[in-house]
Amino acid sequence: MNKPSDTPTSPPDTRNASLANASSIDDAVEYTVMTRDVVKIYRMGETEVRALDGVDVTIRTGEYISIMGPSGSGKTTLFNAIGGLSKPTSGNVFIDEIDVAQLDANELAWLRCRKIGYIFQSYNIVKVMTALENVTLPMLFGGVPPDEAQDRAVEILKRVGLGDRLLHTPKELSGGQQQRVAIARAFANQPAIILADEPTANLDIHTGEEIIELMKEMNRERGVTVICSTHDHKMLDISDRIIWMRDGKVQRIARRDEVEIEINTMKEKH
Amino acid sequence: MNDAAIWDIGSLKLSPEVVCSMAINSLRQRIGRAVLTLLTISTATAFMMYLLTMPRSEDPVDQQSWRLMMVLSLLVSGAGVLNTMLMSVTQRYREIGTMKCLGALDTFILFSVLLEAAILGLAGAFAGAIFGLIISILLALADHGTALFSAMQIDGLPGKFIFVFVVGMLLTTLGALFPAFIASKMPPMDAMRGEK
Repeated sequence: MNKPSDTPTSPPDTRNASLANASSIDDAVEYTVMTRDVVKIYRMGETEVRALDGVDVTIRTGEYISIMGPSGSGKTTLFNAIGGLSKPTSGNVFIDEIDVAQLDANELAWLRCRKIGYIFQSYNIVKVMTALENVTLPMLFGGVPPDEAQDRAVEILKRVGLGDRLLHTPKELSGGQQQRVAIARAFANQPAIILADEPTANLDIHTGEEIIELMKEMNRERGVTVICSTHDHKMLDISDRIIWMRDGKVQRIARRDEVEIEINTMKEKH
Repeated sequence: MNDAAIWDIGSLKLSPEVVCSMAINSLRQRIGRAVLTLLTISTATAFMMYLLTMPRSEDPVDQQSWRLMMVLSLLVSGAGVLNTMLMSVTQRYREIGTMKCLGALDTFILFSVLLEAAILGLAGAFAGAIFGLIISILLALADHGTALFSAMQIDGLPGKFIFVFVVGMLLTTLGALFPAFIASKMPPMDAMRGEK
C-alpha cells in the first residue's frame, strides 16, 4: 500500500481534444467527473500555498471512490473544487461535461441542487425541520411540485430505513439516523455525484458499518457516482478505486483489488 | 467552452406558501429570540402610540422633548432589532451554509431573513399599537377621570394607528437589512472543515 506512483490510472492525455472526440476505447466509457491540471493557490499573507498542484482525476459513472490523504494534502481543496464550493485558480473541473469553474453564482446553485448531493461529517440536517421536510427541501429548490416531492421523500426515507420516523426532528433521532436522513436528502434529487466528507467519523463502529453498507447499496441501485473522503478502512473496503493525495498532487490511484486492506488488526512488532 | 445548453438549467424558485411556512416554522422553533425581537418592536410602537394619543400638554417644550424621546426610542428599537437578528443569523451559519449546498440562492437567503423580520414586525407593530392605546387610555383615566376622551388626542385615530403600524414595520425591515445581507454572503458549507 506504500508504492507512490506518478502516473494515475486514467485514460491517455486528451488535452487537445474535446471530450466528445474519444480516441480510445477507454474514453468511450462514461465519465462523470474529470479534473484537468487543477491548481489552487492560497495567499497567506506574503506566502503562496499550493493547495492543489496540478491534479488530474477521472471518475467513471457509478464508481465508488475513496480519497485518502493527510492534513494539508489537498484532499479538502480537491473535494471543494469538485463540489462547486470553491473555484480553482486554474485548470478545469468537468462534471457531466460542464466545466464548473466557468459557472456563475446562479448556475453553481443549480449545480449543487441538481447534480451534486452532499453528505457531511456532522450530518448538517436542518434542526428545525422534520426528516420528511429535510428530504423534500432540495427537491423543492429543484422545482419539483410539493406533492410529488413529498411522495418521493417518503419513498426514499423508507428505503434508508426511516419509514417510521418521517416526522421526527433531529432532536429525536440518533446520530446514525440523522446520517440516514442526510443520505436520503443527498440522493433525493437523483444527482450525478454524491460527495461525502468522512460520513462515518462521528459514528460508532456498528452504526458506521450500517451507513457504509447503505451507501454502497444506494450506489449500486441507483448507479450514482460516490466520492468519499475517509479514513475508515471499511469504507476503503467497499470502494472501487482509492485515490491517495499528498502535497497537492495525486500520489497514487489504485483499484480495490490491487490493494490489501487490514481492518482492525495490529501486528506484533518483531 | 461552456455548453450550458446541455444542462436544462431552470430557475430555483419556491412557492410563496412554502417560503412563508418555512419562515414561521423557523421563528416558532426559536421562540425565545423571536419574542425578544417582538418585544423590542412592541415597546417602541406602544410608546409612539401613547405619544400620539396622550392628552395635549400646554408646555411646548414638553411636547418637543416627548417627540425627541420618541425618535430616540425608535432608534434604540431599531438597534435592538439589528442586534437580535444579527445574533440569530450568525448562529445559523451552518444551516445557511447547508441550504446553499441544497441549491438556495443568495437572494433566497436574503429574502428569508427579511421575511422572518417582517413577520415579527407585523405582529410586534400591531400588538404595540394596541397596547400603546390601552396605556394611553389608562393614564388619561388616572389623570382626568371620566373626561379622559375629551382630553386625549384621539382625532384621526385610524390614521394614527396605520402610521404607527407602518413605522413599526419599516423599523424592523431596516434593522434586518444588514443581518440579511450578511446571511446571504455566507459561504456554502465547505465539504470539510478545519483543513486547507
